[in-house]
Amino acid sequence: MGQRGGWGQISALSWQQEGVGLEGAGISLAKIVFHLSRKVTSIVPESCLLILLGLGLGGIVLAVAKKAEYQLEPNMFFLFLLPPIVLDSGYFMPSRLFFDNIGAILTYAVVGTLWNSFTTGAALWGLHQAGLMDPGIEAGLMDFLLFGSLISAVDPVAVLAVFEEVHVNETLFIIVFGESLLNDAVTVVLYKVFNSFVELGPARIHATDYVKGVASFFLVSLGGTAVGLLFAFLLALITRFTKRVRIIEPLFVFLLAYVAYLAAEMVSLSSILAVTFCGICCKKYVEANISQKSRTTVKYTMKTLASSSETIIFMFLGISAVDTSKWAWDTALVLGTLFFILLFRAVGVVLQTCVLNRFRLIPLDRIDQVVMSYGGLRGAVAFALVILLDRAKVKAKDYFVATTIVVVFFTVIVQGLTIKPLVTWLKVKRSDHHKPTLNEELHEHAFDHILAAVEDIVGHHGYHYWRDKWEQFDKKYLSQLLMRKSAYRLRDEIWDVYYKLNIRDAISFVDQGGHVLSAAKLALPSMPSRTSMSESSVTNLLRESGSGACLDLQVIDTVRSRRDKEDAAMHHVLRGSLYKPRRRYKASYSRHFISPDKQERQDKEIFRQNMKRRLETFKSTKHNVCSSKSKARLKEKGRKKKNISLTSDTPNGKTHRNVPWQEAAPVLVMVSSEEEESDSSETEREDDEGIVFIARATDEVLQGKTTPGSLDVCPSPCIIPPSPTLAEKELPWKGDQADLAVYVSSETTKIVPVDMQKAWNQSISSLESIASPPGIESGSQHRRFACPVLEEQPQSANQAMSEQSSCFQFPSHISKSGRSQSDSSPDGAEQQELQPLMATEEQGRMVPTTEPRWLMFNRASHL
Amino acid sequence: MGSAHSVPAEMRELADRTGFTSEQIEHLHRRFKQLSRDQLTIRKENFDSIPDLEFNPIRAKIVHAFFDKRNLRPESDGLADEINFEDFLTIMSYFRPIEMNMDEEQLDRFRKEKLKFLFHMYDSDHDGKITLQEYRNVVEELLSGNPHLEKESARSIADGAMMEAASICVGQMGPDQVYEGITFEDFLKMWQGIDIETKMHVRFLNMETIAHCY
Repeated sequence: MGQRGGWGQISALSWQQEGVGLEGAGISLAKIVFHLSRKVTSIVPESCLLILLGLGLGGIVLAVAKKAEYQLEPNMFFLFLLPPIVLDSGYFMPSRLFFDNIGAILTYAVVGTLWNSFTTGAALWGLHQAGLMDPGIEAGLMDFLLFGSLISAVDPVAVLAVFEEVHVNETLFIIVFGESLLNDAVTVVLYKVFNSFVELGPARIHATDYVKGVASFFLVSLGGTAVGLLFAFLLALITRFTKRVRIIEPLFVFLLAYVAYLAAEMVSLSSILAVTFCGICCKKYVEANISQKSRTTVKYTMKTLASSSETIIFMFLGISAVDTSKWAWDTALVLGTLFFILLFRAVGVVLQTCVLNRFRLIPLDRIDQVVMSYGGLRGAVAFALVILLDRAKVKAKDYFVATTIVVVFFTVIVQGLTIKPLVTWLKVKRSDHHKPTLNEELHEHAFDHILAAVEDIVGHHGYHYWRDKWEQFDKKYLSQLLMRKSAYRLRDEIWDVYYKLNIRDAISFVDQGGHVLSAAKLALPSMPSRTSMSESSVTNLLRESGSGACLDLQVIDTVRSRRDKEDAAMHHVLRGSLYKPRRRYKASYSRHFISPDKQERQDKEIFRQNMKRRLETFKSTKHNVCSSKSKARLKEKGRKKKNISLTSDTPNGKTHRNVPWQEAAPVLVMVSSEEEESDSSETEREDDEGIVFIARATDEVLQGKTTPGSLDVCPSPCIIPPSPTLAEKELPWKGDQADLAVYVSSETTKIVPVDMQKAWNQSISSLESIASPPGIESGSQHRRFACPVLEEQPQSANQAMSEQSSCFQFPSHISKSGRSQSDSSPDGAEQQELQPLMATEEQGRMVPTTEPRWLMFNRASHL
Repeated sequence: MGSAHSVPAEMRELADRTGFTSEQIEHLHRRFKQLSRDQLTIRKENFDSIPDLEFNPIRAKIVHAFFDKRNLRPESDGLADEINFEDFLTIMSYFRPIEMNMDEEQLDRFRKEKLKFLFHMYDSDHDGKITLQEYRNVVEELLSGNPHLEKESARSIADGAMMEAASICVGQMGPDQVYEGITFEDFLKMWQGIDIETKMHVRFLNMETIAHCY
């Protein structure tokens, strides 16, 4: 008997799950279909479509099964559907904007919501008292206030769904959206308080209960926030130590955020506030700590979860509405509610804005107010709350449910549909989608300091003062505590922007290059500076026009060399396309020397990149074999690194007269302690897979070995691994050709395992035969252009070699490099001594390793 | 001891010129006297007494701006040794928020004034151009708060920004063209689309109460 029952349960369960699964698939398909036709989604917000679709599906189910099968369960909603959305919105909240406007947001969230619920509830009660409603509705003042509290809260899900497509300016968006998130505390408290009042009955409510209600508001909101902050702190702290177990980083982010939600929910604090603040506050530190891959994973998972939850919520809203058994319609109540929420929202917004504008630096004008009042959408939270009501105690529940559904549908569909035309018609300031520029970031940074300083001077402790104080505190203690040393070191907002710009350039370049690469394309107005810059090179300028350029180009060079390294480290994720951003920074402001062959050069680079990629995939299958050898080398390198740090500047073998930077800016030694170094190298490493590299041989090794003949072969991978020494020694930084080698080096550092020799040769030869890139002959030249900076470091030659090995070489290079080698070989010993730290350092930083195995080795060396 | 400033007529004149209300002027005057130790003028050293300013990375530049004659009077140049209260007010007026009733033209002038102030802060050698070197100095100072970023990276950032500026202002450059520095016109161009008037603001209302309205 029991067994049968069990079976029945299981089958029922599986059936239900199947249903849910099918539905999920249906929803996803629907979403795809919606987005197939841009026209529809550009006019109708997705949330509307989903609700309508849900209505349709619900109708079908109702027709077939004769009863409503599914509906939005409050438990499922609050436990599973809501958290991802809130986490997503908290985590990706533009925190600066949020905190800049937090005064307004809090006012609207707290005062506005209180105002809305009380006025709406009271007005509805008045309507009821006036006898305009069906006398069948048994509801007192408390019931209406309860209803008012749940119907008046602006819903984050609905607001997000609609506003995301409207693109109003950021301030407006953050105020409406922030309000919808933060009003949760008010809603929860009001809902609970009124619910208990209704249960108690008006007669038994004492004055102390009101006091308790007020107190519980503070408890719930501050408590929720505190829980969120606590978990944010924990999360940041934990991710600081996940260096070796990258794979679970994303898990921690989700897990802890969810635990924060559950913890807050458990002790009946505001769970939305908890997750929101957890997301906002941990982001800075978590992002700095976790690896690039984890970052991407977190981002995508979060977005996927949030958007599926959103989809499901709207679908289910539609489906649930079909269930007429829960409906009890009263026209007066429905219309009254609609009217009152719109009216009181508008009145509330105007009144509050009036007060706020006296304090705000940027006043909210009338148009903003219209959008804010009109953007007060209600959604699934209200619906879930109304479903949660106890029919035994709230007699008018059915009426309330019907009204809530209508209100939600009205706000989401009617207001959602009309808000876009309204925004256009009112000419609301839209968000400008200009890309962030470095200048802008710099100036903004400067502003912060200027304003803080002026406040200091005036003796006025205002917002900027406290912000400044907070930043100092954050820098001094929090960041130190919560960020990895390596991450902390490089962290700076300006630097971030710089970094992002670089990446963006690289990506756009790759995007373009992947398809057709023409000079015309590169000259797109959208990326004016960067592309055009790539076309000229400082080195070139130096050589040909000397110091004619007004900018001190030499100085730039210097800088560049260091910068390049950092770039390289940062970008090796994009190793394939690295040359692009680097070139950009090398460029000069005057674009004189557009190399004649740039078109073909670019084609060739693209081509080579493709080849390289193929080679890499090929290689990856085999290269594990030789790991032991490279391991030894890595160790050596690790040791070496330390020593090197003390070495001083690096005269290059190259001809750099009148290069002031050499003395002025000797290579900076980044290694302050071994531990730190290892830390940094590891962080850098974390990101790329598939970069294999060759450890550099120590000096002794270098001196000892000189493999003749390797020079000729140097383009092919096989030669390099055994004697990087050769490469170092023989690399021709002296001659013009040297540059070509350098260029390659900067692109990527690869270690090619010795054993791979054959494979490489084969693959290369095959590739060579396949490839008939245009303009091979010009290879050497183009390289020079591409990476003038690196010329300055003879060391890089080393890398160059390895690089060469890894990437496909054109025959012309081979011959050239061979020649240059012979030229420079006499200087080899000297050069070794002169080895600049930088190269070493770079190698260290780039220590590659994407493969876990390699990582381990490296670590071992440090140990 | 500064009592002359509290003469109503003079006050009104100041209020007209700088746009502050008389309470604001009074407050600023009190602060001025506090800073100057009841002298009629403020010297650079007086700013040292502000403890909060100490940690400001671009502190020197900001203090400098107070003594920059270009900011004080039109058509003048050079550096003042000391400034009186009127000058102090003039500087402060650069940080006034926009008022609701300003028309387009006023807004535009207002914006230009603010930008000019900023420009002068960057252009430390008074030649009407922000050269690369000047820009680098600013960036280095900005980043000096972070001990982990080397000067080199500050420089590279400045260079990147400069290049960006060149591309924004000049567009496609001719082969022999050289970008010497950001002129004020270029500076204006760079700021197009960024509403500085919403950013370069300090609240001067209610200064007595430490009401921080975020």
